[in-house]
Amino acid sequence: MLAIQLAITGLQTGALYALTAVGFSLIFGSTRIFHFAHGATFVIAAYFFYAAFGAGWGLIPGILASALGAVAFGLVLDRLVYVPIQRHEGSFFTVFVASFGVGIAVQNVIGMIFGRGFVTVNTSLSRSVELVPGVYVSPLAWIAIACAAVFLAALQFFMRRTHTGMALRALSDNPELVRTFGLNPRRIQAAAFAIGSVIVVPAAIITSATTGLNPAIGHHVMLISLAATIVGGIGSISGTMLAGVLLGLAESLALLVVDSQWTEAVTFGILFAFIIIRPSGLLGRAAAH
Amino acid sequence: MTKTFKQAAAAATLACLALPALAADHTIGALFPLSGPNAVYGDVFMAGSDLAVEHINADGMLSGPMSIAYEDSQGLPQPAVVGMTKLVNVTGVPYTLSAFTGVSKAISTLGQRNQVVAVNGGGVGPDLAALGEYFWNVIPLVNLEVRAVVPYLTEEMGLQKMVLVYIDDPFGQAIEGELEAAFEGTEGELVGKFSVPVTAQQFSGVAAQVRSAQPDVVYIASYGAQQIQIVKQLRDNGVDAQIVSYSGYITPDALALPETEGMILTGQAVDYESDDPVTSRFVTDFKAKYDRDPTAYNVNYYNATLLYGLLAAALEAEGKEVTGENLLAKRLEMKTFDLVGGTVSFQDNGTLLSPIEVKQAKGGATETLTTVNVGE
Repeated sequence: MLAIQLAITGLQTGALYALTAVGFSLIFGSTRIFHFAHGATFVIAAYFFYAAFGAGWGLIPGILASALGAVAFGLVLDRLVYVPIQRHEGSFFTVFVASFGVGIAVQNVIGMIFGRGFVTVNTSLSRSVELVPGVYVSPLAWIAIACAAVFLAALQFFMRRTHTGMALRALSDNPELVRTFGLNPRRIQAAAFAIGSVIVVPAAIITSATTGLNPAIGHHVMLISLAATIVGGIGSISGTMLAGVLLGLAESLALLVVDSQWTEAVTFGILFAFIIIRPSGLLGRAAAH
Repeated sequence: MTKTFKQAAAAATLACLALPALAADHTIGALFPLSGPNAVYGDVFMAGSDLAVEHINADGMLSGPMSIAYEDSQGLPQPAVVGMTKLVNVTGVPYTLSAFTGVSKAISTLGQRNQVVAVNGGGVGPDLAALGEYFWNVIPLVNLEVRAVVPYLTEEMGLQKMVLVYIDDPFGQAIEGELEAAFEGTEGELVGKFSVPVTAQQFSGVAAQVRSAQPDVVYIASYGAQQIQIVKQLRDNGVDAQIVSYSGYITPDALALPETEGMILTGQAVDYESDDPVTSRFVTDFKAKYDRDPTAYNVNYYNATLLYGLLAAALEAEGKEVTGENLLAKRLEMKTFDLVGGTVSFQDNGTLLSPIEVKQAKGGATETLTTVNVGE
């Protein structure tokens, strides 16, 4: 029973990891911007929902506020930080440092506004119910898994069947060629940030009710996003989703064989194993040299 | 004449410049978590120490104004050592406030080597009693809390089977050792131990393990946001056993959590109703300044800061320099101090002894169940 319980728990965790990581993967895959502030997007989305829901706005307005906050942050960051840097120098390291700095600044601003302690959205949906003897699942677990499935399908459809989606894929391959075809790379980059930011919203909202929030939670989000992106294959949306679920499952099922303090080590063990054995990741394209 | 005037003017200028040195500024250091998941403690600690500085300056206790140079430890050893190095070598403080077991252990060698007093009012790891003569504790350590709560759980509440969920750091490991020792010779037993990494935030898997161990009681030994996340996720994942924790859990955030309701908690006993002038002034002014009741952490850092004021004032009265070495000598000489909670004295190991309260969380506050005198 413990194995079944841990598998279900791992699926829930994995679904949240997948939803968190796929936004980063989309942005990095399309624009090659190491968007470290993706963790900050998660924090903003979560705290906007927490504030709106706590103020009695209700679920839907809360979700809308969260999505609006996340998208606005992504677009403003792209326009005011990344684009100017790329225009003048565009070095990978400069962009990374700027993004890291923004992440720290957001953490502190959120701390100033909401306090630096722990907050959570109280809902009965986070309370587990006993499905069969010894196996407990909360309604939010099903919601997390359903969200991951729906968002993956929607994102895959978007990337393959819409002009913007195809442009995003083209941007990751050859920005100059995109320009030759009369498309505006800056506008496509903005679309990547908008979609990458909004897709983090379900995970942020569910996390606010399950594990709770503190302003520093973005660092953990970023670590998981990075690990899932590399394990899944850089630029591969499906790979990142799959890797997120794999990491969540591994983290949970590892408890069957190792003590709980080693579960994070298992996550990063998988990461290192992929870097050494299969650097292109689960579904990534092998790099030609 | 002109030359004499110039010499006199120069001498007068020098004298004027030298005058402030007679009324020396007093700066002490503090290594508190001001960012990261433990930052909530920084606010709590500063509320106590800042009020003490206000009182010391308002009373003109010292020859010059006193202030605190805060450094952000993040509750982690490595940033704390950087902060302590700065306080010792750049700011040049003779006395610093510390918090958290890992942080205190990390900075204690710097304090000992440079003869800078470090006073802990927040960390409760039992090892903190053995960090040298320059490391003092104004808080009873967690070994006393464990020794108070285990008999209460097993004898008064009839809860025999305990599972421990503890953070994988010196503090958590110390609690593990203390609990194992506390259960020896009792009918109770530790049926499971699950350590969690310092940075972990997902505990649903641990909750499944705890549930399968079928304990009567679960002891949570962590701190900051993590301990609250553990409690919430245990409850969310179907763990209905009694949950117990130590004084570090008693923070406004934790008490506000609905899942905290009914938890058994321990902490030092402080008589806030005492009519001694130090306690009544502290309680009155704290409520006026912060619009809430003080907690033990507020008291501890008020006391730790006030202790500096008392020692430094005594040294200045004797015309001695306020150095770490002299502060230590003066503490050993004075023996007793009028602090919040009454007249206190230090044990030989530099730690204050205090009765321990066993409390229960009710309606966002705590209610005392019993007070235990646990001697060393």
